[in-house]
This record gives sequence, C-alpha cells and structure tokens, in this order.
Amino acid sequence: MGRKMIVSVLAALVLVAISGPGQAWAQKGPIKIGFLAPLTGGAAQVGKDMVNGLTMWLEEHGNQIAGRKVELIVEDTQGQPNIALTKLRKLVESDKVHVLSGGLFAHVGYALAPKVDEYKIPMLYPVMAADDLTQRKPAKWVVRNGWTSSQPSHPFGEWVVKTLGYKRVVTIGIDYAFGWEVVGGFQKSFEEAGGQVIQKLWPPLGTTDFAPYLSQIRRDADAVFALMVAASSLRFPKQYQDAGLKARLPLLGGGTTFDEFVLPSLGDEAIGGITPLMYSAALDTPVNRRFVKDYRAKYGKVPSYYSEVCYTTGRWINDAAKAIGGDLEDREKFLAALRKVEVPDAPRGPVKLDAYGNPIQNIYIRKVEKKDGELWNTVIHTFPAVSQFWKYPPEQFLKQPVYDRNFPPCKYC
Amino acid sequence: MRRALPPGTPRIAIVLAFLLLLVAPPFLSSFLLALVTQAVIYSILAMSLDIILGYIGLASLGHAAYLGVGAYSVGILATRHGAGFWATLAVGVLLATAVAAVFGLVALRATGVYFLMITLALGMVVWGLAHRWVSMTQGDNGISGVPRPDLGLPWSFAQGLPFYYLAFAAFLVAFGVLRVIVGSPFGKSLVGIRESESRMRTLGYHVWLHKYIGFMIAGGVGGFAGVLWAYYNGFVSPADLELATSVEILLMVALGGRGTLLGPALGAALIVFLKNLVSVYTQRWLLILGAVYIGTIVYAPEGIVGAVRQWTRPGEPPDVAALGARRPRRVAS
Amino acid sequence: MTEAPALALSLSGLSKEFGGLRAVDDVSLAVTPGERRAIIGPNGAGKTTLFSLISGETRPTGGRIALFGRDVTRLSPHRRAALGLARTYQITNLFPRLTALENCLLAVQALTPAKLHLHRGLARYPALFARARTVLEAVGLGDKGGETVRTLSHGEQRQLEVALALAGTPRLLLLDEPTAGLSPAESHSMTALLKNLDSAITLLVIEHDMDVAFELTDRITVLHYGRVVADGLRHEVKANPLVQEIYLGAP
Repeated sequence: MGRKMIVSVLAALVLVAISGPGQAWAQKGPIKIGFLAPLTGGAAQVGKDMVNGLTMWLEEHGNQIAGRKVELIVEDTQGQPNIALTKLRKLVESDKVHVLSGGLFAHVGYALAPKVDEYKIPMLYPVMAADDLTQRKPAKWVVRNGWTSSQPSHPFGEWVVKTLGYKRVVTIGIDYAFGWEVVGGFQKSFEEAGGQVIQKLWPPLGTTDFAPYLSQIRRDADAVFALMVAASSLRFPKQYQDAGLKARLPLLGGGTTFDEFVLPSLGDEAIGGITPLMYSAALDTPVNRRFVKDYRAKYGKVPSYYSEVCYTTGRWINDAAKAIGGDLEDREKFLAALRKVEVPDAPRGPVKLDAYGNPIQNIYIRKVEKKDGELWNTVIHTFPAVSQFWKYPPEQFLKQPVYDRNFPPCKYC
Repeated sequence: MRRALPPGTPRIAIVLAFLLLLVAPPFLSSFLLALVTQAVIYSILAMSLDIILGYIGLASLGHAAYLGVGAYSVGILATRHGAGFWATLAVGVLLATAVAAVFGLVALRATGVYFLMITLALGMVVWGLAHRWVSMTQGDNGISGVPRPDLGLPWSFAQGLPFYYLAFAAFLVAFGVLRVIVGSPFGKSLVGIRESESRMRTLGYHVWLHKYIGFMIAGGVGGFAGVLWAYYNGFVSPADLELATSVEILLMVALGGRGTLLGPALGAALIVFLKNLVSVYTQRWLLILGAVYIGTIVYAPEGIVGAVRQWTRPGEPPDVAALGARRPRRVAS
Repeated sequence: MTEAPALALSLSGLSKEFGGLRAVDDVSLAVTPGERRAIIGPNGAGKTTLFSLISGETRPTGGRIALFGRDVTRLSPHRRAALGLARTYQITNLFPRLTALENCLLAVQALTPAKLHLHRGLARYPALFARARTVLEAVGLGDKGGETVRTLSHGEQRQLEVALALAGTPRLLLLDEPTAGLSPAESHSMTALLKNLDSAITLLVIEHDMDVAFELTDRITVLHYGRVVADGLRHEVKANPLVQEIYLGAP
C-alpha cells in the first residue's frame, strides 16, 4: 500500500515536472533579453558599464518584467562587427531571445541593423549613435533609445557663440565616423550662429601622443573643440595642459571627451572643460541622485552615460512589455509598443522617440568641476527636449549628406 | 619511442572529416552551422596564406588585404550596382590577384623580417584605403545590407544551410585547385625555393618569378575567401582588414601546420570555434587562445599536422612531412 | 668574338672586391670544350668566389665572363644555367627535407618548360621521373631515392650534389671540392664517378686533394690571393717552384 502510494506520488511529480511547465509556461516562459557588449579588448570597460546599467535595473525590479521572469544573456562582441554578427545569430537562433540590446561602435551598429531586420526581432540601441541609423538609413526593427552623435553638438554650437562669445574655434577630433559627426554637428550650428571653424585636425583612432597635433593648433583661436574617445580621452587633457594651451585656449568638446567614464582617471587638467551630452552624473534631480547613489553602492563608481542608457533600456523594455500585457511573442506589437514608450523620469530626464525613432531628450551643457576631491560634470545649462534635428525641419536636414571628414567643409581654414 | 598510430589513420580521419562536413550540417543548430560556415570560409583564407608561408616560406602580415579586396568588391558592386554572384566573384578574385601582383613587386624584393614588415605596411595601406576612401567604402561605418547571392537555383542562399553548402563547395574548389598546384612541378619548385633559394637559382629557376606567381595565386584565393565572407556577413568594414586579422590568419596556418594545406584549414576551424564558442562560456577565452598558441609553439612547432605525422611516422624527422604533397608515385615505365 | 665561340668558358680580367679585399684579382682563363681543369690553391685563394662569379650568384666588380661564346657577365644565374652551366657546392647545398628523388626531380625539371606547369601533378610527368632515376643511378644512389636528404650519410649527400648538377645535362660543370670530408674509400669512388663522366662535359674542379686533382684533370690553374699564379699541364705545374713554395713551404 505505502509503496504503491509513493510510486504514484512520484509518478505524479514526474508528470508535473515534465508536462507542467512545458504546457502552462510554453507561451509565458521567461523573457529572454540578448545583450551584446565588448567584454574583452580595448573597450571592455565600457562594455562593463553597459552591462552593469541593465543588470542594475533588472535586479532592482526582481528580474521581472510584466510579471514574467527575465533571463539576461550577455555576449561578448570583442568590439568587432563580425563577432557581433555571430553572437547576434547565437542569441536569436540558439537562445531564442525575445529582444536584443547593447552594442558599441558605429560600424557594429551598421553591421547589425540589416540582420536585425532580417530576423524581425526588436533591438534597442542605447549606445550606438551613428547618425544615419535614424536618419538616412533607418532600420525598421532597430529602436534607438540612446542618442545620435551630432544631437548634443547642434544646440552646443550655437550656445558657444551666443553665451560664451567665442567666434573662432579650432576642432580636433578622432578620425572616424563618430568623430566626424560630433564635430560636424558642432560646426554646422556654430557657423550658422556666426562662428568660424578656422582649423580642423583629425588624429587617427588610437592616437595617444597628441604633440604633433597640439603644436599645429592655431593660437589666434578663441577656443578648441576636442572630440576624444577611450584611451585618447585619458591622455588628451594632460597633454593639452602640458603644451601650455589650457591657459590660453579654453577647451570645449564632445560629450565623450570628459564623460564620467574617464573623469576618475583625470586630474585637475580636466577642470573647466565644457561639453554637451544628454546625461551628467552630476544632474541634480531626485531620480538621478538616487541612481548615482545606488550605482556607486553597487559597483563602486560613478555611473557613466553608458550605464544610464542601459539602465533606462531595462525600463524601456519593461514599459513596452507592460503595454502589451507581456505578450513579447507578438513581435510586431512589441516593436510598436517599444516605439511608443515615453519615460518621463529617467535619470537623464524625460525621453521619448521622434518620428524617425531617435530620442527627444534634454541636452545638458556640462562643465568639469571639482567637488569633494572628485571631478564632476556640473550642469550649467539645459536645453530641454532636443531632437536629433534640433531646430531644423527634418526633411530639409536630411537633404544634406551625413557629416564626415570634409562635411561641412572648412570655409575659414 | 612513441607508439605509432596505424599508418592509414590520417587519411581515414580526413575522409571522415569531409564526410562529416557534408552530412552533419543539417543536424546542427543554426548557431553552430554559422560557425562551421565561418570556419570553412576562413579555411580557404588560411590555405591561401599557406602558399606563401608554408610553400614559399615567407611570413606575410598583410594577408587580410586580399580578404578585404574580395569583400569590398562584393560590398560595393552588390549594394551599389546590383551585381550578381558571378560578377562579384570574378571581380573580387581578379582584383585581389591584381593587388597581389602589385604588392608582390614591392614585397618580394625582401625576405624574412623585411618581407614581414613590407607586407604589414602594404596591408595597412589597404586598411587605410577602406577607412579613408569614404565615398567608395563608406569608411569606418562599413557597407551593410549586402544581399545573399542568388544563383537562380531553387533554394535561397539567405537560409543558413544552403549558404553553408555554397561555402563548402567553394572550399572544395579552393582546396582542389590549391592541391593540384602544390602537387604540380610549379608547386614543387616553391618547396625547393623554401628549402634552398640559392640552389634553385643555379639549377636554372627564375626564383623571383616563381615566388611572384605563387604570391598572386595566394592573393587571388584570398580574394575568393573575401567574396564569400562579404556574402556571409552581409557586411564589410575596415575591421575585416585590420592587422589583427592578418595575425590571426598567420596563426591559423602555424597552428594547423604550415605547408600542408589541410593543416591550416584545421587551424582556421579551431580558431574560429575557440573565438566564438569559448567566449560564450568564459570571458577568459583570450587566455585559452594564448595558451593554445604557446602550446603549439612549444610542443608542436610544425603545427598539429606536423605533430600527428610525427606520431604516425615516428622514424622520420618531424618536419619531413612539411612538404605536404604526396610522395611521387612509382611510374610504370 | 672571333675565337670565343670555340671556348666553353672565357674569363677576362675578372675581379671581385669585397670591401678593400680583392678576392678575385684580374683573372683571365680560357677553357676549351671537353677540357678538364682543376683549380687549386690554398684556403682563401678565391676559388669558391670565382665559381660564384661564373655561376652568376655574385656580380663581378670588373672583367667579363663568356659562356660558349656568349657574354654572360650581366646574366642572372638561371639564364646561365639555361646555357648549360651547372655547379656543386663545397658546403652541401641540397633540399634537406625532401627525398633524394625529389631533389633530383627539382633539378631535372629546372630546364624544362614543365617547371611552370601548375595544372597537374608532377606524378604525371613520367619522363622527369625516369631522368631523375637515371641520374640517381649514375651517382650510385639508385636505391636511396625514397630517403630524406638529411637521413643520408655525408658521402651520399656529396653524391647527390653531383647528381643535381648532372640532372640538367650540363655542358660546363663546376665542381667545388667534390671529395670534401669524404673517407678515402668514398673519395675513391667519387673520383671514379667523376672520371667516367661523359667526355663532352667540360669540367672545372676545385680540389684540395692533389691526388684527386691530378687524377681527374689534365690542366691545372693555381690561384693564390685571388690571382692566377700558374697555369698549365699537371707536370708543368708540379714543377713550378712557386707552386712548390705555396704548397710545400720553402723548398
């Protein structure tokens, strides 16, 4: 008797174990998020910030989205488009993820977009900022919830003329698409407001010794606009100071030149640098103060914009999933929901998408200052609700070519 | 004395491997299939470099250039001019051969480290062009949206499996062609040059010409791999042409066993799998890859194939087999 | 050009300077077809350099070289080989990781158009194999064809050196110390081998062993500090007091 009972209980358990989840959860299994980031190679630290951001949001919300458990699968792109493509295949075909996100570097963004469209699977681009991804070559299934490279530059260019009164500026930008777009956007609005870019220098990607470029900088300028990334942004400010330029020519730049990612590694040479971006860790709002405090407690450092955009990506997926009752399996519906998401209170401020699928968001003019022995990007001016086209009508803006090394041309060089 | 494997073992293993490559893919997950496809394409590239490294005996650090030329031919012609597979294939291979013809004029004046440095510089020139000639290559952003080829066949190469078989067929063609070449009198002359250039000269060989022809063949086949690579990824960017790629190809050849054609193909497959598969499980994959390289250099300087041959023919010095081609058959006379 | 066609090799005022050193100094030489001549002289006399000048591996700093009546001073080594010139090396210069037969095949195909064929396997050229085997037989390595060069004994490697040079049926053969490092027995059989070569082949031999030199050749040229100090039939040279001084010390 007893024995029979045990057997039947066991059998029942086995049945439940096999069939239970298989049927009841077939449609509502965990939500799988595939996340691509460079975890090895030169950009590994950035990749870590990205993963941290998303992980933090998920953990804060009990790893649940719209009542479903979340499984986050992170794959290493090594910063290479080919590897990123392979890992994309793996995430979609082997892991069968519901939604994708992540990615760093413009060429990775361009490589992934057609594949994402082919798979018809929504992918959020929180970091990859190449202009044309939401301008001249949009991809249906890519939802950019980050930014475009030239977006912060547009209001900044005009602001530099009108507020700082600088009329003649030398630009020095890392020689690749991201650099061209950041510098190009600045040059356009700066010159339209009456400024003149009198010299454009383009050190190649990976440059760490800027002496040859610094010595060329024309001394009859009012200021220098620098666009640095990664290892270059670590070295540039110090060399700028050592060349005796800091005292003579104020240093402006693109957001990555002084972003929170590099500030801890810089010294006083960075103080006074003015850059625009859609985020600053020093942003004084309750949401951001809490975000920075919790992020520091968890990871021991100040969040960078990479952390913020990926953190908000968690929220973004959640809001879209909730809007459609957690039915991520209906991809078309999910994609539409992702495009409709409005986040009124992200750490960086309110965010929603424009008709081309790029966020309309605040752009902050930030100045590097020292507080309690640490460097912070103090916000000195806020442009609310800036679109990628800023004040230009989109149709008209899109008629100009994408910014590159020689566009806009240097009329005053 | 190590115990020898039965004499026919390697041949049986090769036949089995080819059979497996033919029969197994339909049963693979699509991710694994993608990796095998990559491995097959990279094998072509590694075999082409083997002509230079393994047969002529010169280490080139610019081989990614030919991959790039082939890939960009496809990228530009297919997206901008709607060119079909055969047209892009012809242009890709011919252009890569032509580039090798020009590079050969410069590089083959040197040997050893100087050859290495010149090819490195030439490779960087192509990389620089891809990077800077924005109107043609779209620079750093790369060319995306390359459609999969349409050969007018009933199945679509947009699917993973048909494309794999296309790549595998291409591999068989490349292997067949290279195999005939290395077994030909010309191919033997390359080995002779590797072994003793001065002797070849006094025997009556125009050594430079032989190297030059071999160099161009390697470039052309490299371009062939590039064509497939572009169709496979649907995307071409300067990242494909980086020095790191050239180094990787060189390591594939060294790991598999230079001068053996199939060795480098095996090396390519191993590295593709290590890079993509191991990194799924651990971020320490670079360490593992490094360990594999060091292990190869220390324990199998002639690569995997060299080590296996040492086992199967313990009587012979290890690198006898590095010749690669079959021993001449006895000819009935 | 008047009487040159009659000569297999003609050197006139040939010089080679390395830095300040004249390794070959104003050497003039006329070798008639079918002649067998030894080049002797102490170490550093410039004998090997002279061979390298003739084969084209080294460019002269002065003078002219003519092969079978044709000025080859500016010709590359492979073009000279095509004219019927072959050489061996004092320091064995073979293809060490190939078999003896493969070595010979490389030598055999060198002067045929087949060397640039890449569309079919070497195994499809039975004539080349036949010739390679013949050459191997000729130097007494008929049963060693399948062996890798570096597993061959030193003596066998020297024999293979000669085989490679013979493979292209040369008209002028330069032998650089063919018996170097051989045991007396090996040396003897090598001498016999060379002695029996086709008498149409013009032979130039660098030799240290006087017995070998005298046995193989009828004319002898003595080189000392890059200069020709004696030239003549063997008994003349033997009797030359200068040669005796060089070789035997003061008389």
